[in-house]
Parts: sequence; C-alpha cells; structure tokens
Amino acid sequence: MNIEKLSALSDEALLTLADKLGLIVPAGLERSFLVEALLEALAEDSEEREEALDSSERLEETKYGGTDADILETSLDSGWCSDNRYNETMIRLLVRDTAWAFAFWDVNDEEKAQLRAGEPGPGFPGLFLRVMEEGGETPRNADHFDIPVDESDLQWYINLPQPDSRYRIDLCCRAGGKTRVLARSNVVQTPRGALAEDSAAMEGGTVELLALSGFGELDIPPSEDRHPSRILSGSEVEE
Amino acid sequence: MERGYIALVLNAHLPFVRQPEYPRFLEERWLFEALSETYLPLLRVLRNLEAEKVPVRLTLVLSPTLTAMLSDEVLRDRYVAWLDRQIGLAEREKERTAGDPEFARLALLHADLYTSARDDFTILYGGNVLSGFDYFYKKGRLEIMTSAATHAFLPLYRDVPEAVAAQVETAVISHRRQFGKVASGFWLPQLGWYPGMEEVLKAYSVRYTLVATRGALLGKPVPKYGSYSPVTCPNGLSVFIRDAQATNAVWSEQTGYPADPVYRDFYRDIGFDLPLDYVSPWLEDGARGFTGFKYWAVTGKTERKKPYDPAAASARAAEHARVFLDGRADQIRKASAYMDRPPLVVCPYDAELLGHGWFEGPQWLEALFRLGKDREEFRFVSLGEYLKLHPENPVSVPEFSSWGSGGYAGVWLDGSNDWIYRHSYKMLDRMMELAERFPNETGLKERVLNQAARETLLVMCSDWALLIRAGKAGAFARRQVEDAVSNFQRIYEMLCANTVGTEWITRLEKRNNLFPSINYRMFRRKRA
Repeated sequence: MNIEKLSALSDEALLTLADKLGLIVPAGLERSFLVEALLEALAEDSEEREEALDSSERLEETKYGGTDADILETSLDSGWCSDNRYNETMIRLLVRDTAWAFAFWDVNDEEKAQLRAGEPGPGFPGLFLRVMEEGGETPRNADHFDIPVDESDLQWYINLPQPDSRYRIDLCCRAGGKTRVLARSNVVQTPRGALAEDSAAMEGGTVELLALSGFGELDIPPSEDRHPSRILSGSEVEE
Repeated sequence: MERGYIALVLNAHLPFVRQPEYPRFLEERWLFEALSETYLPLLRVLRNLEAEKVPVRLTLVLSPTLTAMLSDEVLRDRYVAWLDRQIGLAEREKERTAGDPEFARLALLHADLYTSARDDFTILYGGNVLSGFDYFYKKGRLEIMTSAATHAFLPLYRDVPEAVAAQVETAVISHRRQFGKVASGFWLPQLGWYPGMEEVLKAYSVRYTLVATRGALLGKPVPKYGSYSPVTCPNGLSVFIRDAQATNAVWSEQTGYPADPVYRDFYRDIGFDLPLDYVSPWLEDGARGFTGFKYWAVTGKTERKKPYDPAAASARAAEHARVFLDGRADQIRKASAYMDRPPLVVCPYDAELLGHGWFEGPQWLEALFRLGKDREEFRFVSLGEYLKLHPENPVSVPEFSSWGSGGYAGVWLDGSNDWIYRHSYKMLDRMMELAERFPNETGLKERVLNQAARETLLVMCSDWALLIRAGKAGAFARRQVEDAVSNFQRIYEMLCANTVGTEWITRLEKRNNLFPSINYRMFRRKRA
C-alpha cells in the first residue's frame, strides 16, 4: 500500500519526505529509485520506533491496531502545530527524569525588534539559558551555568546536574554589555535517584523486603552519588 | 487470618476516538475490538464465576473517556453494525475454509466470538455494557476505580494545579454520574505520580491510588514493608504499590505468558495474509490492516507460524494461572518472614491486554479465581477491602515516577511529542484566563466556555503523546491534538471578539460530547 501512496505523491512531496527522513537525494535521481529509497527509510523508521519501545509499551500498543499506512502518514503529516508559536516572551521547564528537563521558550517579535535596535552592530544580541540551582526558599543567583542558544531555537533538553534538587532557568540576553533576563521559568524539582535513607539505618527486615520487592532490578544506586562540585558560580544577574 | 493477599487490578481505558462525522472510522475499531475481546469476555468470566459461586474480588478501572464512549448512542449503534460486518466475514470465512477442518474450526471460533458478542451486547445488556459492570460493582465482587478525565500524564502538569485538579474533578463527577457512587480509588494514568499529588486527590475525597514500584521504594521515608503493603501519605491518602514480579510474569515481552508459543498470535491476521480484494470490504481506507481474524499461534520468532490450537491454548492458560498463583504464594511466604502482617501483592494490568492483546487472557483470569478459591496461602482482595482490613500502614510519600520505560516521563516527553506541551500549556493558561474573565456566564456563552474546557482536557490526553512516539496511528494522534488546539483557539477568539458561531459550537458539542456536566469554572485560578 505504501508504494501506491508514495507513487501518487508529487516530486516535491517526495523530496520533502526524503528530507524529513534524512535521505540525501542526488540531483536528477530517477523517481522510481527515490520511491524505493523512501520505502526502505520508512521501514527502518518503523523498526527504530518499534525498538525504542519497551516490552510493556509494545503490549500496550496492541490496543491501538493500525494499518501498514500509518508510518507513512505519520511521516507525511508533520501538521501545523509543531512549528506554531504564540509570539510571547516566556520560558517553561518540564522535568523528564532524574537528569533531564525539557525547556521551551519564545521571545515576542516586538521585543526582539527592540533588542535588535539596541545593538550597535547588525544581528541579534546573544541569547542564552541560565540554569540555576535553587537552594532553600530564595534563588541563589550565584550558582548557575549558561547555555548559549540561537535566535531560532525554541526548545532544548537540559541536563540538570543533580537528582533531588530544585532548578529554574532564566532566558537571558546580553545587550549593551549587560545581562538581561527576558523570562524566568517555573521552578522544578528533579526526582530522587536513590533510596531516601541509608540501608544501615533501616528497620529490621526492610532491606530484605526491598530486595523481595525487586529493588535490585530497578537499576537504582543504593545511595545518591552527588558531585562534589555542583554548578559553578558565575556573574550576577541583572534584572 | 490469611497468610497473604493478592489484589488484581485491571485498567480499562481507551482515548476518546468518537468520530461521528465519518460513516466508518478506523480508530473507532479500537473500542469495538476491546468490547468484543476484552470487556464482554470479562463480564462473561464474572457471570461464570458467580454462577458457580466462586469468590471473586477484582478492582477495575473504568476511565472517563471509555465510560463516555460506552454510554454513547452513536458508538453503540456503530458497534452493532461493525459486529454484523464481522459476522458477515465469518460467514465468508466458513465457506472459504470449508475443505480444511483445521482452519474451518478456527473460522467457526471467530464466528462464535462475534455472534456471542452481539448477543451479549444487544440482548443481555441492551447496548449498555456499563450496566453489566455496575451489577457486579453493586454486588461487591467488583470494585470500580476512576482515572484522570482524559488520561493525562499528571506529573507533566504539576506546575498548573488547576489542570491536575480539573482532570481529577471531572473524573470524580463522571464516576458519580455513571455509577451513583463516590469513587474511593483513583488510577493515575501511566501510574504517573509526583509528591503533592496526594493533596489533590484527598481534596476530592479519594481514599487510595497506586504507584509504580520505583516511585514507592524511592519514597520518603523508605516504605517499611517494601511493596508488600500500601503506604499512607501524611494527609491520609493510601498508596498501593505495583508488584514487580507479578508485572514481569505477564508484561515481559520475552518471558511473559502472552509470548507462549501456543497462544493465538496477535499480529498475524487474514487482513495481511489473504488477497486484498477479498479482505478489503473489512478494512478501512483500503489499506491492509487487522480484521480480527487470526488463525495462527505465536509459535516463536519465525514467519512459519503453526495453526492455532484453541484447546492447547486453553490448557496453557490454566497452567499459567497455576504458575502465577504459585509465584505469588512463594513471594508471600518469603515476605511473611519479615512482616508482622499478611503481605499484599498488587497486580495491575491493562484490561485490554486480557483478550485483545492476549487472546486467552480472560480464560487465565477465570482460572486464577477458580484455582485461587482452594488455596490457603492467600485470598483475593480488592484495594478498598484491603484498607478495611488494614487501615494503618507505614507513612511515606512516593517519589515522582511512572510505569513507563525508564520509570519517569520519558515516554510522554521526547523529541517526537514534546511540541504538544507548548500548546497544552498555552491552552491551560488561556482557559484559566477565560474562567477568570467570565465567572458567571449562562446560556450559550456558558456552553461555549464548557466546550473550551472539554478541548483543554482532550489536548492533555497522554495516549496521543504515546502514539506519536510509537508511530502507529501517529498521524491520527497528531490530528487529535491539532483539532483540540484549533477548536480551543477558535473559541478563545470568539470570546475575545464577543461573537459566537452558534452552528459551529453546536456541531462541536455534538462531536466532542464527553463530560456533559462539565463546569468550566473548575479552571479558575487556585488562590494560595
């Protein structure tokens, strides 16, 4: 079925799909070869997605029986939502696991224009994300690291140094030699990656019950392996 | 006193796939297949066991989107029409296989499957399957839990308490409306928990929930009994813990029961095997896909599958039930040595695995209860019943976790699906703004605001993120997100311009008709 659907697509649509699937198409490649290459790439994509699922996801997937055209349709239809933005200055942070968070942000067009106008030379002032670890109730601005980002970037996965810690990210730019905070994210807490107590201090039987509960198969370290040096201190933020 | 307890929990859930504007729609088949292979067979199991006076204690989650679809007239009619088409295919198959006794018997098996589903659905339940579950709920053989309104993965919305509360409130109201009872138990979609969840659940009088093993064992303080008893949060919410060994016995792709060579193979289907012009009337959009007629056994990792042998598969299901009970009894025996109370083994599974994914699953379940009644080492309990027997449990707050791959949010937040959150968060922000701006609307404007609330809940559905990641039905899932975003955007713009397209909103209300008693005001900002 995929071959029929692919064959019905225009040359332009085929090239767009090839681009999306990461195929390098030599100039003047015959259409039939391109269709064949796309079929192979789609099959690989399908296999890769399948491999990325763990066994419970694969079993869960049986609930959603599809057709063999699904992968093609998923690849053809990138939709309008994924590129859409709301033209606002903002940043938000979502925790993915003990080490990673997803940040998405945007800068309002008008604000961008103002920032551009304020620069002596051409171009846009350097945007960067300032990742800050929060200790206690008040932000400790001194503990941070910076990640430069492009004007066209709207999202990144950020590696957060420590489990069981609180972080926020400021979307900043350097304008006129000064750092300006454009937007401040919500504060997130990374999950604890190890047992909350030392096993030596646990009540009798608990260690054995943890083992019988499958603790050993969860790939959890017995205690938190914290880095001696956390976020390196940097310059103060001007707000 | 018993030496231990086993609590079986089945999570029945499908996302909202109702598409009334199309005469036939591929994804509505998910519901029809689950009805035929899981929900109706599950009721059959409960009826059989009741007739033979076999004690049953089962906890069943009926998600609000599934409940909405099971009570929908359009989908009920479509299900009967779909069954008639399936029965038609069975007739063709009986003719086609007439000369081959082995396959003729399998064609007959499928004919029986769809004929008995039709009889049960139309005659026994009058189209209302929920009444069947309600019967056992009221008899105490079944305990029904609710779940988040649209199966949102709640940890990804923890910074918007209004969003999490809206998912819980809508679910609790939907359950009470359907079953006339307050839901004591709340299933966290994907077992997604974060510290603080207990406050939201308790605010809606929920008494208990479940978490993944990882989250519980990493809780603070460390749970004294491991996963062999629930924990109690400081605010009184009880949290049951998924058992890792019972999980692997069924879920493991390599060693789990459904992978046994004699069971019916899920993937091999005549929709892929037989000539396209023969099967195409039973396929959607002319593309090859599942028809539901599967004549081959799992066999092993080979393309040369053996024909399915129902008698051998039934015998294996009974054998696997015995193995499962032996395994749990062994766990209970070992854990008892370190406990001053009977250990509890909590075994939660997707309901649709039993029957739809694993064809023999309902037979396995029936055998569990039949064999279990003669065992002295344990008895089955529902989660609520356990709490009545053991109201005091160790205090602990579980850590952020899920039952997804990796144990956290990685399945619902990765490079394929992360774009969803920019939109869902914007919708939530605007929904809260609307609820503040229009606190006391009535009539048409209230209807519009309520529809905005429905679209906001729909965009939060975790199934879309999962399907986009998996690729299968990814285009459909993406469209569901985009439809919810664009419907909401149009409503927002209409309200900002103070103009309402009556005809359009009426059409949308008829299409996305879930949660009839929704109240958009639940999105008003929570005051600190």
